[in-house]
Amino acid sequence: MKKNDTILKNIFNVVFPVACAFVLGGILIAAIGENPFLTYWVMIQKSLFSVDGLLKTLHFASPLILTGLAIAITFKANIFNMGVEGAAVLGGFFACVVGFTVKGLPTVLHIAVCLLTGIVVGMLFSLIPALLKAYFNVNEMVVTLMMNYVVVEIVKFLSQGVFKDPSSGYVSTYPILDSAMFKKIFNSDLTVFFFIALLVFAVMYVVFKKSKLGYEIKAIGKNPEFSEATGMRVKNKIIIIMLISGAIGGLAGSGFLMSEKYRFTMDFSGSPGLGWDGMLIALLGSHNPVGILIAAIFYAALKTGSEYIGVFTNVPKDIVGVIQGLLILLLSVKFLNERFRFSNKIRFLFKKSSKTDFNK
Amino acid sequence: MYAIETINLTKKFGDFVANDNISITVNKGEITAIVGENGAGKTTLMNMFFGLQRPTSGELIVDGKKVAFNSSLDAINCGLGMVHQHFKLVPSLTVYENIMLGAEITRKKSPLIDKKVEKKEVQKIIEEYKFELHADDVVENISIGAKQRVEILKMLYRNVDILIFDEPTAVLTPQEVDELLISFKELKNQGKTIILITHKLREVMEVSDQVIVIKRGRIIGSKATKDTDAKEIARMMVGREVVMNVNKEYKDSSKNKTAYSVKNISTKNNSGKKVIEDISFEIKEGEILGVAGVEGNGQSELVKVLSGLMVATEGEVYLYDKNITNKWPDELRSSGVGIVPEDRYAQGLCKDMTIYENMIAGYHSDDKVCKNGIMRRNEIEGLSDGLIEKYDIRVAEKNGNVSQLSGGNAQKIIVAREFDSNPNVLIVSQPTRGVDIGSIEFIHNKILELRNENKAILLVSSELTEIMNLSDRIIVMYKGRIAGEVDGKKATSAQLGLLMAGMAAD
Repeated sequence: MKKNDTILKNIFNVVFPVACAFVLGGILIAAIGENPFLTYWVMIQKSLFSVDGLLKTLHFASPLILTGLAIAITFKANIFNMGVEGAAVLGGFFACVVGFTVKGLPTVLHIAVCLLTGIVVGMLFSLIPALLKAYFNVNEMVVTLMMNYVVVEIVKFLSQGVFKDPSSGYVSTYPILDSAMFKKIFNSDLTVFFFIALLVFAVMYVVFKKSKLGYEIKAIGKNPEFSEATGMRVKNKIIIIMLISGAIGGLAGSGFLMSEKYRFTMDFSGSPGLGWDGMLIALLGSHNPVGILIAAIFYAALKTGSEYIGVFTNVPKDIVGVIQGLLILLLSVKFLNERFRFSNKIRFLFKKSSKTDFNK
Repeated sequence: MYAIETINLTKKFGDFVANDNISITVNKGEITAIVGENGAGKTTLMNMFFGLQRPTSGELIVDGKKVAFNSSLDAINCGLGMVHQHFKLVPSLTVYENIMLGAEITRKKSPLIDKKVEKKEVQKIIEEYKFELHADDVVENISIGAKQRVEILKMLYRNVDILIFDEPTAVLTPQEVDELLISFKELKNQGKTIILITHKLREVMEVSDQVIVIKRGRIIGSKATKDTDAKEIARMMVGREVVMNVNKEYKDSSKNKTAYSVKNISTKNNSGKKVIEDISFEIKEGEILGVAGVEGNGQSELVKVLSGLMVATEGEVYLYDKNITNKWPDELRSSGVGIVPEDRYAQGLCKDMTIYENMIAGYHSDDKVCKNGIMRRNEIEGLSDGLIEKYDIRVAEKNGNVSQLSGGNAQKIIVAREFDSNPNVLIVSQPTRGVDIGSIEFIHNKILELRNENKAILLVSSELTEIMNLSDRIIVMYKGRIAGEVDGKKATSAQLGLLMAGMAAD
């Protein structure tokens, strides 16, 4: 019974900020003289209740499911890994490089090689903060945050130099070969990449909920000293967790490139970027795999919905950006509350001011 | 007139009645002990005395006046002071700065603190109560016992007449306990009233004038200390007869096979200081080796080295013929070393995980509970339910977190987990710290049971009586070395005390 209560509370914790964001967004829409209900209806209907729209939503959800999982596995172990964005960008870039330099491979093999490159690059990227954290106790948040900028400069340098496509009018690499592209299924936006993401989701579900590793991740997140004393070898586990996170992040980047972008440009990851979106999604999903799956699809629906809003209503599609921003703001309140127990402090304040009634 | 009188004091938390119609009297200038098991409601009662919680109903009368405290400040103004179990001191400040915190003396007409006068004032009260303290010392450098004296002085400086002590000896070494008890008598001579909350009966018998026993939020009895004895109080607390001294038959184990041997191990701490040096001992099958010593003389580090949490820089450890020096904790457990760690909630349990999850910690790689990397939920639950039954662990909700359990029941989880894994050697550190009498008795009997099953047991404890009651042989540690070895059958506390203080036994 108690367990049900906490589940309900968790759901409320997520649904409430989402609803608030939509209400505030609705007020904005009303303020520019449009009907918010109609706008939201268009958005939902086009992104979730039409076949084309739904497939598009799932297509955009694929990398987000992965980055969300990549964030969640580290955050659950209380490792603040901010480097999923870097892993995704780096993974995407090198998958792209392999995608246009390696020639003459059959499609399936070429795709596999590209994805594998992305995964390995993501792992190598995450290994640096992992080793620093495990053996030198360097704060992983600072290292990963800074390394993201390093990655941006490296790929910028490479895509302006050796890998630049001279026929392109802006900074961009060559496009990947046909053999490295995920093919559209039945002419929709959906590709096999979505099913790869689902497969990773299924594996991670088992890891989180049923496996020994999941048990150890939970213990390390809650009490590292206890974990060490009960033989979980925390240092090794930190490295393993970071490697898994980097692998999934790299896979997200390479898959996104091979199913959507096909060439690496500087705005490849979008704004705010796959990794950062993943952080929001992990937070929305309470670091729970099923929650992350739902959150990723919801978030992708916002993205696809925004394109239709511009077409079918007079509301600028940037309103979705506003809603996303509000969501981040409102969710960070929840995050801060978890860390610093704001609600308890506020409740305490009220208690203090009402202490005159003695027999309460 | 009484110092404190309560009339039908009741405190409810929702449906739960923490204190039920408590009516007691505390005489002026006496030491009153309030005893009861963990969770009996002692602390709630004291929190009401000190203004930290307000009664649901009933009256509290201090010095003949009916009072209603809204905060601890009101209580201090009424002459009531409390010394908490966990000290509230600023480590980087000096003793006098801590005492003066919030009551600083300033130079005339300026906001600057007059440190000279402050120091003099503090030195004056230190001398008045004959405390062993220096006003100038920085708090982080002084011993735990000294920190406690600072806490007491903090209250005395604020002119309180009634001092409440919440489990004051829980964190102290035997010597410091003795010093504290002497301080109690000194305070009493100065006319202070003392209320002592504890579950240690030795202290109660030694210093108190009156004993009040609380059980499940009710007063079970109130007696003059001279009219009762420890056995009777224990029976009142637990509600049944308690065996205070475990019945232990001595068996000669010197001819048994050596199960565990430690050879010349040394180690350094993070700052490079040698914390244990050249420690060697052997434990035979069916033998309990006790390790006594004043806390901070290397016992914690010894346990850490033996349980794989610290690296031995020199020396070797053998389990029968197998070298197990510096193995990981999981390797130690799988090779048959059970470990009950010193700090229950830091190393032994994870408060925020369920009882099931805690029940398998350390053994979670066993085939019994984990197959191909997947946890076998049904087996885990079955195993845990069995252990909960067998070790009589009182659990409200099996799926709930360990944080819901009392200290005794939490400790029993560790005991169940480590004892039931059928180890060859058990390293048991502070098995009964902060545990209620009923559970202490249970845990002691389990340790003896294992000894009779021919296991080798290393028992490290700061409770001298525990060591003396259970051990076949006792080694005493002093400054990281073994100061001496004593036969458990013949050991006296005087003899051990000398070794603990670093003086040779001859």
